[in-house]
Amino acid sequence: MNTIDTFGAQRNLSALVDFSNFINSSLDLKFILNNLLLTCFGKFHTTKGFVALFDSDDKLRIKASKGISEEIIGQFPNVPLCDKTYDNALLAEFCDKLKFVFYQDIISSQGLRGIIFLGERLTKGEYLQEDRDFLNTLINIAATAIENSIIVEKLKEANRNLDSKVAMLTSLFELSKEFSGVLEASRVGKLLVYSVIGQLMVTSYAVVLCGGKEEAQIIEAKIQKKILQEALKKCDTSKITSPLFSRNFPDEFLGLKQLGVELIIPMQIQGETKGLMLLGKRFNNQDFTESDVEFIYATGSLAIISIENAKLFKEALEKQKMEEDLEIARGIQKNLFPQRIPKMKNFEIAAVNISSKQVGGDYYDLVKFANNSCLFAIGDVSGKGVPASLLMANLQAFLKSICKQGMELDQATNVINDLISENTVMGNFITFFWGIINDETKMLTYVNAGHNPPLLIRNGEILKLTKGGMILGVMKTIVPYVSQTLPLYSDDVLILFTDGVTEAMNKQMEEFSDEKLEEIVLEAKNKSANDILFHIKAEVERFVDGANQSDDITLLIIKVK
Amino acid sequence: MVDFNVETREDSHVDIVDLRGYLDAHTAPELENVFTKLIEDKRFKVVVNFENLAYISSAGLGVFMAYVETMRENDGDIKFTNMSPKVYNIFDLLGFPLLYEFYTDEKEAIKKFNEKS
Repeated sequence: MNTIDTFGAQRNLSALVDFSNFINSSLDLKFILNNLLLTCFGKFHTTKGFVALFDSDDKLRIKASKGISEEIIGQFPNVPLCDKTYDNALLAEFCDKLKFVFYQDIISSQGLRGIIFLGERLTKGEYLQEDRDFLNTLINIAATAIENSIIVEKLKEANRNLDSKVAMLTSLFELSKEFSGVLEASRVGKLLVYSVIGQLMVTSYAVVLCGGKEEAQIIEAKIQKKILQEALKKCDTSKITSPLFSRNFPDEFLGLKQLGVELIIPMQIQGETKGLMLLGKRFNNQDFTESDVEFIYATGSLAIISIENAKLFKEALEKQKMEEDLEIARGIQKNLFPQRIPKMKNFEIAAVNISSKQVGGDYYDLVKFANNSCLFAIGDVSGKGVPASLLMANLQAFLKSICKQGMELDQATNVINDLISENTVMGNFITFFWGIINDETKMLTYVNAGHNPPLLIRNGEILKLTKGGMILGVMKTIVPYVSQTLPLYSDDVLILFTDGVTEAMNKQMEEFSDEKLEEIVLEAKNKSANDILFHIKAEVERFVDGANQSDDITLLIIKVK
Repeated sequence: MVDFNVETREDSHVDIVDLRGYLDAHTAPELENVFTKLIEDKRFKVVVNFENLAYISSAGLGVFMAYVETMRENDGDIKFTNMSPKVYNIFDLLGFPLLYEFYTDEKEAIKKFNEKS
């Protein structure tokens, strides 16, 4: 061995030791590869070179380069790793064209990792076998460092993913805490939007509520609301049952795609879509990943429950308010009934009204006049609840003013029908009966406007008071009402009732019936007016046996002393 | 104790937003109000100083996303400064450094705004 060779070997050796120390001191892949390239440049006197490594998807990608342009990097062929080897032809073509005359596989303990490529030497000299040996030694030293740095990169990546998941979970946790305390859809919408767009860097978005048949309601949007509303009209939002990317939008949703919507995420409660989140592109142009979609879906689900709760809470409040109002109305309606039963020399009077709802449509009245006569009336407004009770109040007002005009009863009925007709809407009507009894002459005059005929019990017989005309409120009076006048005698009993009595139903859906009422009043005819009333009431109660009262019950009993 | 506080001041035609405490879903609306006001007043050059911000959640980040486009459409921007490593880490994790400018000192951010105009 001559001196020059020894120097050469020594120089090589110290270069290798330096190199080894240097690259093993770092876990930065870029740093290691750069040093590998620079060491080669120094040793082989070349100015071009790059290192390509197989990524986790087994594709060869350039990881470090020197002296070559981005353009050349862009031309690097797609070389997949198959069975721990690769197709050399494509690489050879690339290297020939660009004069990368020297390349060598990088093999670590894990097998083939990548390839290093070097350009022509400045001296134009060939690469010799000893150069190849030296490069192999360099690669062997570098391989471990490369391997380690790749593992570290992977760990870093895994850590980052983990951090990202933790951030998502923290957001979810924070939101669930926040949502549970909020009862306003608009604020929930805002929180939802901020969390999602902050997490995913989205700048165009909308939150839409679409439960039921109502038009979709936009609660939060950074997309022009009017255009969005129009586009949504074409969409059957209930169709969206899972997250949908724009490439999979059904035709009707393409309008949304034109507005920049990239992703639609349903907000569901028990599998039913109650709302949608519409999201535009991510600001960094990255795609939404599966875990992004999961995060948005989870956040959306939290939000929609909160929104739904807010809605239910509001409805409950409104209902409560309505019930309070109805309770007040019930009080007012009670005051419309006579506060006390007039005392008469020759007649006993008893009356009762039991309303099935908070406010009802049954009516009775008793007005005593100065001339010793007394007006009594009973009526039943069609329908139930608030509309019926309004019409009933109307009838009461008319009756109170008309009965003071001193009109004959039939005339007065004509007028009352005209007035009621003006106030009814389609199909509403009142069955009505009224009469006047004279305390001196014991004469009765009555008009029956389509009401269940009151029963007059005399000597164990039942007479029905049917004279009059048609029900009130259907049309203005064309055929005038007629009245009937007849004398009453001692022990005569008048039973006035509404159909709530005869149609009272038991649990077997059987009706109390007219026959049963007639039977009962015949039994009870000798009792006082009050007792007859209680008797009928008790019989009805016994009959229905706890079944729900579906209609108002009104009874008015007049007994001649 | 106030868990979040936001104040604005002006320096060389740039609005500085000082954040303090915890910016999360609960407190995000406060910051939102500040940005709405800035836009109403046509103040589009905004530097957010994070020096005293202890924590930010994605709802807080969302506020910046919601307003940055309006600022940029009007020749302005939202720039971030004086961020603690802990807070920066959250921004970094979600990829914000690609799209927003971060400065260690608010003076640099202000200078940057005034260079352009």
